Amino acid sequence: MTIDRNIYKPFRAKLTDVIEESPLIKTFVLVPEEEFSFNTGQFIELSVDGIGEAPFTPSSSPVVTEKLEVTVMKTGYVTEFMHNLKPGVFMGIRGPYGRGYPVEKFFGKEVLILGGGCGLAPIRSLLYALENVKDKLEKVILCYGSKTPSDCIYKPLFTRLNKIEKFEAYRTVDKAEEGWNESVGVVTTLLNKVKINLKNSVAVVCGPPIMMKFGTIRLLEMGYKDDEIYLSMEKNMSCGLGKCGHCMMGEFFVCKHGPVFTYKELKETPDIWK
Amino acid sequence: MSLNKDDLKKIRFFDNYTEEQLSVIAGLSSIRDFQVKEILFEQYDELSELFVLLEGTLSLGISLATEKRIHLGTIEEGQLFSWSAVFAPYISTAWVMAITPAKVIAIDSKKLNLKIEADCDFGFKTMSKIAQTISHRLSDTRFQLMNQMII
Repeated sequence: MTIDRNIYKPFRAKLTDVIEESPLIKTFVLVPEEEFSFNTGQFIELSVDGIGEAPFTPSSSPVVTEKLEVTVMKTGYVTEFMHNLKPGVFMGIRGPYGRGYPVEKFFGKEVLILGGGCGLAPIRSLLYALENVKDKLEKVILCYGSKTPSDCIYKPLFTRLNKIEKFEAYRTVDKAEEGWNESVGVVTTLLNKVKINLKNSVAVVCGPPIMMKFGTIRLLEMGYKDDEIYLSMEKNMSCGLGKCGHCMMGEFFVCKHGPVFTYKELKETPDIWK
Repeated sequence: MSLNKDDLKKIRFFDNYTEEQLSVIAGLSSIRDFQVKEILFEQYDELSELFVLLEGTLSLGISLATEKRIHLGTIEEGQLFSWSAVFAPYISTAWVMAITPAKVIAIDSKKLNLKIEADCDFGFKTMSKIAQTISHRLSDTRFQLMNQMII
């Protein structure tokens, strides 16, 4: 599905819309000037002229090629600058890079997805991809946790998912605010209420390291096998090409061999949750 | 309101019990209804019933010396709570309040403990399930604590 092009060279994309998801998170809608496609879970390097570039996993559907959505949390120099951009400017895109979610391996199975915070961005892309092949899946369950209701991103997504046959979506927050009538507690508490056939299921985890650690431990406790848990590591990536070594994790470059790994591949690697 | 073993079979918490064991639990249980904002029990109350939530959502929390209620999390359908009713000194470590109309299975914990002592297989299954609930609660609390520390 990827297109043959110079992987070192960015191409232009026009920023057509900026959607505020939460106080710290915005979604940037980009229209690439060149033909572009990606596999869900792969990432791109997004650049701003004169400022720098950073890696992001698209949050939009891999099936939609005319536009691309990237959800960005304000965490540093480049992302802070990006948050001030207005529609009409041009940005640079390199990629796509890395190994995404092996959607074909999910066929015939129930898919349990655990997401936290901004980790819902790659998951949203995965959900779109799964929706596109829902006839080949048994069930898709999303469990998502954020710190507060205000920090919860893609709010309309949950209503939409719960209307799709075979899809279920649950949310929880660490701390409730006035008017919140869904679950309260960390995301693993949602696992108490999901009904899943463990004999025919895979799990996907994406979120902050602590959430990924506790989420994976709970999934193992539930009975998932090491190779049935997919982790979207997405950390410390810089060049995107396995050259700079910034994202090295044991024998792997996250950007080159991942960012999606099975727990089996990583479990012997030290400090995977740091 | 009383219940029978077939009612219990529908609830994941009661998986793995034999028919006979489910009948015993049903004999020790009743169904109780709670209205919105009704307190099921307060922190430091002496407990005599082990609960499993059948329908609705409950809030679990602790109180500070100032009597301000701190909401720690929700209890979802199928979850066990009030495990303190099974272990001495049988004093609740948290309060629980209904945040929607709720239906709860209440199991007489004194009679349950007698059965646990008398029947090793039943006792092992029951204690394993309660231990798992406590383990999850502890793990979730650590997770929550680490989340707070990072902020």
